[in-house]
Amino acid sequence: MHGPVTEVLQFIDLNASSIIFLFIVGFIGGLVSGFIGSGGAFVLTPGMMSLGVPGTVAVASNMCHKFPKALVGAIKRHKYGQVDIKLGLIMGIFAEAGVQIGIMVQRHILEKFGQAGSNLYVSFIFVMVLVIVGSFVMRDAILIKKSTATSPTGSPLARRLQQIELWPMITCKTANLRISMWFLVPVALATGMLAATIAVGGFIGVPGLMYIIGATSIVASATELVIAFVMGLGGTLIWAYYGTVDIRLVMIILAGSLFGVQLGAIGTTYVKDYMIKYVMALIMLIVAVSRFFAMPKYLNELHLTSFTDGSVSLMTQLSFGVMCFALLTGATIILVNLFKARSYERVAAARG
Amino acid sequence: MGQRHTNLSPENQALEISMRHQSCSGMKTTKPTCILVVTRNGHMAEPVMDYAVNVAERMKCSILAAHINTLPFYRDGGRRSALFTAAMQESTTLFENKARGRNVTVEHIGDAGRIGKAIKRLCHSERRIEFVVIDQGIRLDEVTAHSPVPVFTVNYPRKQAGLQRKTVTSQPSQQGVQRMSTARRKRHLHNCLVFGGLTTALYAAVFTNQDVVMTYFSKGGVFALLPVSVVFAVSYFHGNFTSSFWSALGIEGSTASAGKKAEVRKEAETAPVRKDTRPRAQVNA
Repeated sequence: MHGPVTEVLQFIDLNASSIIFLFIVGFIGGLVSGFIGSGGAFVLTPGMMSLGVPGTVAVASNMCHKFPKALVGAIKRHKYGQVDIKLGLIMGIFAEAGVQIGIMVQRHILEKFGQAGSNLYVSFIFVMVLVIVGSFVMRDAILIKKSTATSPTGSPLARRLQQIELWPMITCKTANLRISMWFLVPVALATGMLAATIAVGGFIGVPGLMYIIGATSIVASATELVIAFVMGLGGTLIWAYYGTVDIRLVMIILAGSLFGVQLGAIGTTYVKDYMIKYVMALIMLIVAVSRFFAMPKYLNELHLTSFTDGSVSLMTQLSFGVMCFALLTGATIILVNLFKARSYERVAAARG
Repeated sequence: MGQRHTNLSPENQALEISMRHQSCSGMKTTKPTCILVVTRNGHMAEPVMDYAVNVAERMKCSILAAHINTLPFYRDGGRRSALFTAAMQESTTLFENKARGRNVTVEHIGDAGRIGKAIKRLCHSERRIEFVVIDQGIRLDEVTAHSPVPVFTVNYPRKQAGLQRKTVTSQPSQQGVQRMSTARRKRHLHNCLVFGGLTTALYAAVFTNQDVVMTYFSKGGVFALLPVSVVFAVSYFHGNFTSSFWSALGIEGSTASAGKKAEVRKEAETAPVRKDTRPRAQVNA
């Protein structure tokens, strides 16, 4: 046995209902991840914990299921010509560094403010990032939808950054851009840090790729899968080194999520560019609401507020429910759009 | 039959031939007039269909589309013939859809044997064939040697040919087989079964030996490679299975958007001068 973590580990006994629950959540999470590149796994950690899985095992197993899912999604979307492997690998390596920095920051906060302070910090970052970035992405998606232009013109910030010739310059063929490495690194580090803090780096990675680097939303969401793969593999090796991965849970979730990720990737070939932004922003904003409900518990623990135990427990349950609702909403929009677009295409083909 | 070249444009020439036939036969003609369109591929090229429909609409006659299986006894256990029939069905549906909008009648015939002889047979059938339009993959001299009526070929860029990119006869038979779209569905089903079986075996192996697996996989250290390698195996087997599963169900990426985007980008990069890609007819009467 390695490290102190494993000495207190308890792996749960699986029953039919928990297997079905994990399979379905895996499928829906995979569907969302395949479509927006990330963000399908945040329900899994609390979901597994609600089944009685210890927190460390839940985090490790979630991480271990994410990287093969990202790999399969990236391969599928590479077939559609949407992935910029070079951009993804470079950003993935720096994002891994960002994860390590994020863990150090977390550890520092844990030492200084204790568990409740750390949890509050996580929820605060969650709400801040999701509300700010989510509102921006939503506004952009609505503007594109309303505009009559057939193709998006791209972000002005990205265009300006691409004009700055600062060694070393990186040329990304699929993303069709040339940009200095110095602008990629901060986005990648922020992605990694967010991944270490709230477990979903894509909520910064994909908007960063779209608005700072200048990739289209299709390429950004596909490239995020490569970043998620690199980060996930690194994280899994660390967790597995401490023996915290429950391979059974991972395999059950993967059984569902690989079905979902394929379908999500297929969905991207049918929808318009703004739809990815729209789904992503919607999920981010709903999840922000869910984290808002989770905050009173930590505020109580820090003696900053005095909510009753009953209302805190109700709000915690509500928080999980809203999170599930966010994922379900995203999955429903993806599936409806996919099948609607398919039927339109079939009718158009029949008319010749 | 000797070949004669004229200076008239192909469509005017076809019209002139049609009018000459009508004036010669006059009121005695009772046979329905039609254009014979022949292919030896499973899928008839779309430019050929378009050309035939255009001319038939202008000449106010019908179309007789013939799919000739030139290798009916090919030794592959009837696989090629089955694929040919399936591809022909897809092709006929497409042709009918194209013709329906233009009020042109299309009749389909499936035949087997040598191209020249099949065309000769069809020209002497009940219908009155005005002229023959042949698809790519059929040698002009092979047809003109047997055809009693003028024969046209339609020249078009390979890009426009849709599924049919090479002629069936030019390469070993496997290429012809794989081009037919039904082969893809079968391949997906086959992959689905193979990878589904492998995935089930992997899951069964892990879950029937849960205790042993959990003992070793949670040891940590070098044993960390065990869960990672199993997860890689799952992503390969189960990933291929899920991919084939959706494809076998017919749920695949949109070819319209992806193909269009790639084509537009490629054209913008490689073709500064726009080429004239309209289908052209060549007469050999």
